Amino acid sequence: MSHLHIPDGVLPPQLWIAGLVLAFLALLAAVHATRGAGPQQIAYQSALGGIMLAVMAIPIPITAFDYCMTLAGPVGVLLGAGAAFQVSLVVTLILALMGQGGFTVIGLNALVLGAGAATARPVYLRAVAARRSPAAAMAIATAVSQVFSSLLWVVVLWASVRLTPGLAVQQQVREGLRFLAGGSVAAIVAVLMLAAVAIESMLGFGLARFLSRVRPDLLPSSVPAASAPSGTGRPPEAGRF
Amino acid sequence: MLNTFAQIDYLACSGRTRWHRASALGKLVLAMLLVLLAVFMPQWRVLAALLVTVIALVLSAGLPWRLLGAAMTTPLFFAGLFLLAHWGAGAASIATLAMRPVIASVTALWLVGTTPYPDLFAPISRMLPRVVGDSLFLTYRAVFALLSRIERLSRAMFLRGALTGPLPQRANRMGEAVGTVVLSGFDRSQRLYQAMLLRGHSGRICGCRHYLEFTREDGWVLVLGVWSIAVTVVFAGWGAR
Repeated sequence: MSHLHIPDGVLPPQLWIAGLVLAFLALLAAVHATRGAGPQQIAYQSALGGIMLAVMAIPIPITAFDYCMTLAGPVGVLLGAGAAFQVSLVVTLILALMGQGGFTVIGLNALVLGAGAATARPVYLRAVAARRSPAAAMAIATAVSQVFSSLLWVVVLWASVRLTPGLAVQQQVREGLRFLAGGSVAAIVAVLMLAAVAIESMLGFGLARFLSRVRPDLLPSSVPAASAPSGTGRPPEAGRF
Repeated sequence: MLNTFAQIDYLACSGRTRWHRASALGKLVLAMLLVLLAVFMPQWRVLAALLVTVIALVLSAGLPWRLLGAAMTTPLFFAGLFLLAHWGAGAASIATLAMRPVIASVTALWLVGTTPYPDLFAPISRMLPRVVGDSLFLTYRAVFALLSRIERLSRAMFLRGALTGPLPQRANRMGEAVGTVVLSGFDRSQRLYQAMLLRGHSGRICGCRHYLEFTREDGWVLVLGVWSIAVTVVFAGWGAR
């Protein structure tokens, strides 16, 4: 649920306008955090953005919504918070142009996806510092990132219900919402959500296990960059190739 | 979804209608106008008139019926929960809620189906920070190469039986497969970086300036803009009487 496909016109304007403003501010902060990034870093984050888009092409329908594998967690670990948020915004923008999610919801979508990605690296580093293997740390970071995004997603839905005047006053609509939020539907959605988080975490596990064997220098290290022998999470200099 | 990406990209580049010849900036402004009218207009009559207008736009741009059908049904699927929540709120309310995302989605189809991506991204990238604007171009460029790699990889995995067995094992293998794509993306980003340096990258991918080349066909875009506003005013007034 880390990616909203809610189209234009269904969320109240207060919500999506606030989302656009917040996303823009977050983008400025992200750009500030990654200032000094050269073309090499931009090319690397664009390649990971391309992989995110490609992976999102495999949707798993869940009632009215779609669960898409996003790789937000692993991308967040590999790139760090600032760059991962930028990638999330770019991916969301391209998806909106392709009719996957509305133009007006770009801000909310980027926030939900990007916030999840941004939480991944700190969780990963903590797990590595606690002597977990990179694969296990990546799985934990991916799970936390997915759960966090899902919570934000629920907050967006809750806020949209609260801010829609029609929904607040009409008895029949309230009944409809009560039915949808009722035990069985909620239970099914919760189980599907957990399954989706588990699948994405296992995918992250496999990804990190592979990278730790083949290119451990691409994974971030808990050792400070200055003294780290390898693995600062930054792409190595072109001269090393 | 990514086959659709490729199809739309081809249609945008190969089309010869008046909409394809109009400037990207004009079309972008018209698309934004149509989306904002759809999102903010509460009368179903206005939305019905706008829906007919955007369908006519898509058909006159020579875009396939199949894409039009997808653009009209996909947002309804994603807006399903919201439509269900409004089920008891009356036919006009449901029609309004259903038409808004459809208008926005069909408008997006018209925009991306008649505008090659460098022209479309060039004005958008100018509104974004440099890093993000560059990422927009490079991410879109990376998608197609990475997608074909993912497709080849998943076919090979299927043929070698890697997609059978318990779910955790399959997800783990998928993760390793994604790892190889990440490595390929990383290598690709290195090549891209070197190509950028060789071609004298000046610190910004500017895109082309075609988007600013106004042609005679922009007159039609202007006519459509005036028509959309007139239709909105007339039908909104009619609904108010």
